[in-house]
Amino acid sequence: MAMQVGGAEEYNSEINVTPMVDVMLVLLIIFMIVTPLLQQGVSVDIPREMNSPEEDQEITKDTSVVIAIPDNNNFYIGKDPYPLEELAKKIEAKMKNMPPERRIVYIKSSVEVNYGTVVKAIDVIRKQDVDKIGLIADKKKGVPK
Amino acid sequence: MGMSSGGGKGASPNINVTPLIDVLLVLLIIFMIIAPSKPSRFKAQVPAEPKPDEQTASKPNPLTLVVSINKGDLKVTLNNEDAGDVSNTELLTNKLQQIFKDRENNGVIREGTNEVEKTVFIKSPKTVSYGNVVKVIDGVKFAGAEPIGLQIDDLQE
Repeated sequence: MAMQVGGAEEYNSEINVTPMVDVMLVLLIIFMIVTPLLQQGVSVDIPREMNSPEEDQEITKDTSVVIAIPDNNNFYIGKDPYPLEELAKKIEAKMKNMPPERRIVYIKSSVEVNYGTVVKAIDVIRKQDVDKIGLIADKKKGVPK
Repeated sequence: MGMSSGGGKGASPNINVTPLIDVLLVLLIIFMIIAPSKPSRFKAQVPAEPKPDEQTASKPNPLTLVVSINKGDLKVTLNNEDAGDVSNTELLTNKLQQIFKDRENNGVIREGTNEVEKTVFIKSPKTVSYGNVVKVIDGVKFAGAEPIGLQIDDLQE
């Protein structure tokens, strides 16, 4: 068990991997915990590698309304599906106490979805007196401004 | 340097902090990687719902720029002029930038304000995929258009 120090007779030629394994396990655990926390709502294949969307911290806030459209038939707010008619009530309730500058509804739509489906959602939104829409897209990395 | 074990004379009182630092550095790196993925969005405006009892007699604005997407071949037109297609919006961006530049030089301003008129409307058939529409919006936005309007009514299938 004891390692010999000083006496130069035999060196231990094995690499001690225990610290590496430690770090890897910690990494694994961190990712396991963080990944579900980071994801809000349903996962949607949003447009990626875009040049010019603006960053907006409001999107991730709990108070903002994000409508997710993962396919042509479903509309989600958060993790719950809503049919179009109930979407209106939900938006109205959430937008009731918003100041005018924050009356914006975000749309997180999959790139595969037909534009007509998105238009249907927008049509519901504007009936609630909201005329600003935020189309969520992923910004290309390394583009200045 | 060597810790003496077995001989019970004096155990070294130093705590070995190296593993702690290891883990903390790893944590730091992870957060540095995660942090830059900030959420971003395109801001767009939609016209208010047309009221059936109200005659919308607003006069047409000659400065309005309309970008349309063609359904069949996904070609993009700017005020009925050809402007490339969905997969390559560079031509569209260049054309818009040229128009905005001309307007800036000639002092073409929006009615009632002192900003250069940079409104662009986007019109697309309903069957075009959302991804293609966003690509066009990206090109339009990149040219500096503000605000971007989405046409909602009377879209072709």
